[in-house]
Amino acid sequence: MKFKDYYEALGVARTATQDEIKKAYRKLAHQYHPDVSKDPAGEEKFKEIGEAYATLKDVEKRAAYDELGRHPAGEEFRPPPNWGGQQGTQGYSFDDVDLSDLFASFSKGRQGRQHQDRSMPIPGQDYELATQISLEDAFNGTTVDLNFTVPEYDAQGQLKRMPHTFKARIPKGLTDGQKMLLRGKGGKGAHGGPDGNLYLNISFTPHRLFRVIDHDLYIDLPLTVSEAALGATVKVPTLDGAVNLKVPEGIASGQKLRIAKRGLPRQSQDNGDLYAIAQIVVPAKPSDKERELFKELAEVSTFNPRAHFE
Amino acid sequence: MNIDFTELVWLDQHHEVSIDELAELSGLAQEELQHLVESGALIPTNPDEKRLSFSGHCVVSIRTLSRLKQDFELEPNAFALTLVFLERIRTLESKLRALNPSSSE
Repeated sequence: MKFKDYYEALGVARTATQDEIKKAYRKLAHQYHPDVSKDPAGEEKFKEIGEAYATLKDVEKRAAYDELGRHPAGEEFRPPPNWGGQQGTQGYSFDDVDLSDLFASFSKGRQGRQHQDRSMPIPGQDYELATQISLEDAFNGTTVDLNFTVPEYDAQGQLKRMPHTFKARIPKGLTDGQKMLLRGKGGKGAHGGPDGNLYLNISFTPHRLFRVIDHDLYIDLPLTVSEAALGATVKVPTLDGAVNLKVPEGIASGQKLRIAKRGLPRQSQDNGDLYAIAQIVVPAKPSDKERELFKELAEVSTFNPRAHFE
Repeated sequence: MNIDFTELVWLDQHHEVSIDELAELSGLAQEELQHLVESGALIPTNPDEKRLSFSGHCVVSIRTLSRLKQDFELEPNAFALTLVFLERIRTLESKLRALNPSSSE
């Protein structure tokens, strides 16, 4: 098992008072809490801070942590025999255990002792997982493999990180950021308590052509100057094959053309829409003939796109 | 290795959860949820009925609220205000995305 320096995580001395520990935690929590911070590294940092505080705020757990002694962070170590007053820790391998699991089991054991007569059920822990699927899979529905590890007691009564693997069917109708619940697929409950739940946050992998807002899709539609000026019928890709789109004459860059019901499926209504956003593009290096014709157009045309400047 | 084929429960506006389920899923007490309803921060889909139900998307906000309560040791009186701000942030972020579909954020 690898050692973690909880005092270092909170930036306090080992002699810090409970009040100093609380203040340090609050300050860091405001900075890194994933529900508050926009820092992408905040979630991982907050996990360290939260884990450290969960142990050090509890006088009994803090004493047990201090009993582990001082080690450099990350160093392999083993708790002393009957550590923290827990019987039967001799012979434990501690190989697949995280320090946080050990303290979680420490409090569960304590809860168990406190409620021994009533056999108080302890619910299993909830977990959150993020998974990404492609837009095509969101359009058609798909199956995803979910893999994560949960601290559980094995047949020998040792606490170990056990792999959990599920196949989950993702139906049509979801959109980017969809939250879903898998009941009873989190950590195991104790003393007859219910198993925890697994929350799934589904996001889309960026698509090379489409952007998503709710169930609507957006695609940039490059048009030549002549297509934009004269109008045209152009092929536009959708998630369900290409469609012909009639571009009206005189379209400007940024104008949106709606292709009804070609967005993502909804659960109970029609599909969302696809919006093609006109982008007028010109050749970066016009050929001699193109250059000649553009010059001719410039000489003949009276169109002034900046008339409103005057 | 445990391999399973599992159906998912949607947490969105098309699916409802009862107050009992919301309490179970969020870890908040029913009294705390009731307080949120009374203060107008949490709106049930069936306000006139005895057993209240809520839109499934509430689960996400209420779980966030529950985490904030635990991690910041929030006072009960700060609950309703926090939930109002959480919902407002979510609405504004959604409007921002709609205004700028070319943005990845």
